[in-house]
Amino acid sequence: MIPVGALAEIPVGEAVRVLADVPIAVFRVSDDTVYAIDDTCTHQKASLSDGWVEGCAVECPLHASCFDLRTGVPDGPPARTPVRTHQVVVVDGMVYLRVSTGAGQVRAEETEVA
Amino acid sequence: MTIAPPSLINTLPGSSYADPEVFALEQERIFESSWFAVARAADMPTPGKFRTVQVGRESVLLVRDRRGVLRAHLNVCRHRGARLCTEPAGEVRNAVRCPYHAWTYGLDGSLIAAPNLAEMADVDRAEYGLRPVHLREWLGAVWVCLAQRPPSFEDTVMGAVTARLGDADTVEAWGIDRLELGRRIVYDVAANWKLIVENFMECYHCATIHPELTEVLPEFADGFAAQYYVGHGAAFAEDAHGFTIDGGASFPTLSAVDDAHDRRYYAITVNPQVFINLVPDHVIFHRMYPLAVDRTVVECDWLFAPEVVAGGADLSRSVELFHRVNQQDFEACERCQPNMTSRVYDAGGVLVPSEHHIAAFHHWVTEKLAG
Repeated sequence: MIPVGALAEIPVGEAVRVLADVPIAVFRVSDDTVYAIDDTCTHQKASLSDGWVEGCAVECPLHASCFDLRTGVPDGPPARTPVRTHQVVVVDGMVYLRVSTGAGQVRAEETEVA
Repeated sequence: MTIAPPSLINTLPGSSYADPEVFALEQERIFESSWFAVARAADMPTPGKFRTVQVGRESVLLVRDRRGVLRAHLNVCRHRGARLCTEPAGEVRNAVRCPYHAWTYGLDGSLIAAPNLAEMADVDRAEYGLRPVHLREWLGAVWVCLAQRPPSFEDTVMGAVTARLGDADTVEAWGIDRLELGRRIVYDVAANWKLIVENFMECYHCATIHPELTEVLPEFADGFAAQYYVGHGAAFAEDAHGFTIDGGASFPTLSAVDDAHDRRYYAITVNPQVFINLVPDHVIFHRMYPLAVDRTVVECDWLFAPEVVAGGADLSRSVELFHRVNQQDFEACERCQPNMTSRVYDAGGVLVPSEHHIAAFHHWVTEKLAG
């Protein structure tokens, strides 16, 4: 698992960018809910961690495709390919990331928040 | 040049009103160097609402950011120079996105995103944010200054209001920032901006071209404008019930306007491009946008008490009076403009005694252009 940092240091509605094999964006969408997806938009190279979170989705800052943070699926063009999702674990106030190996999706309920 | 007798003072020469090179210098040394009223703050009531306005040679983008703070930036993409917003007004959601390569700026002007930006770690997003412009809010208006070091807002803008009304507090009685926009009319005037300022400053023409206005303000028939005095409001005619096209009743006097200022008309010029008229129940706020040596757009707001606007009252008789004055004035300015290049006007015209205070405006312009 990759340490991301203290939960308290990620404001609700914002994201941090973590360098794994590829950049990964970790979003805190509420007090106790954190999601992680590949940071790079599948349409053009934009950093989704620079985008805007609304509910459980992030809007790409460049061309406004919205990716569901739970599934990685974009809501519509110009992006067509989902981004990978990754499992997030919070232990003792620290956020950790388990990078998924394939294109498989990690469902929301598997995210453990302790 | 003929030496004018003491009754007459020379105006600026005709070229000052017609030469594009003079106008280019004015853009640089007056419009881009002074505090310039660009909009009413309430034009951008919520985050993402924007306006674009021309100030001197620059297009300025005004937008309310996500924290509710009004921001002004030059409307130029830092990447390849595209104009970011081309509409005069509108709304964006989270960001200003350049339509050319999608460089994307936060409403606070910072560079948020660009294609492949994440791979250019050496690009400072603050350094390549939009170029900010100084901004102040006063009297419900948004004032910007494009100069790196603006002149004192207190001395120039507030000072002009104080100089006319006699003290700094009087204008507060109208609570202009709390009034609501009842009507806005935009005039596209084929005249040099200085002809419009000079026209607004004097009332020698009032008896000739403003029959409705002189009915309500009889002393204007004598030719002395409110700007001729300090702290003087032109008294309403005894039989006038309000500042309306026919002198009929208008709306209740604004609550903080005292008896000494009731039933009077005050007029203020804030160089280079603002005129403010104060009457008991409303305010008329003109912003001029000089676009060319012979073209000036004037945006005029009629501002009333919130309850008057919210109640859906018929504002037309109040608006019609000064709308008609504006039409009469701008027609007069357009009548002069073509003759600014006449040989007769090479050395300019003259000011009669009731216009002599306009010489102070000419000195102001001349000093500004001298740098």
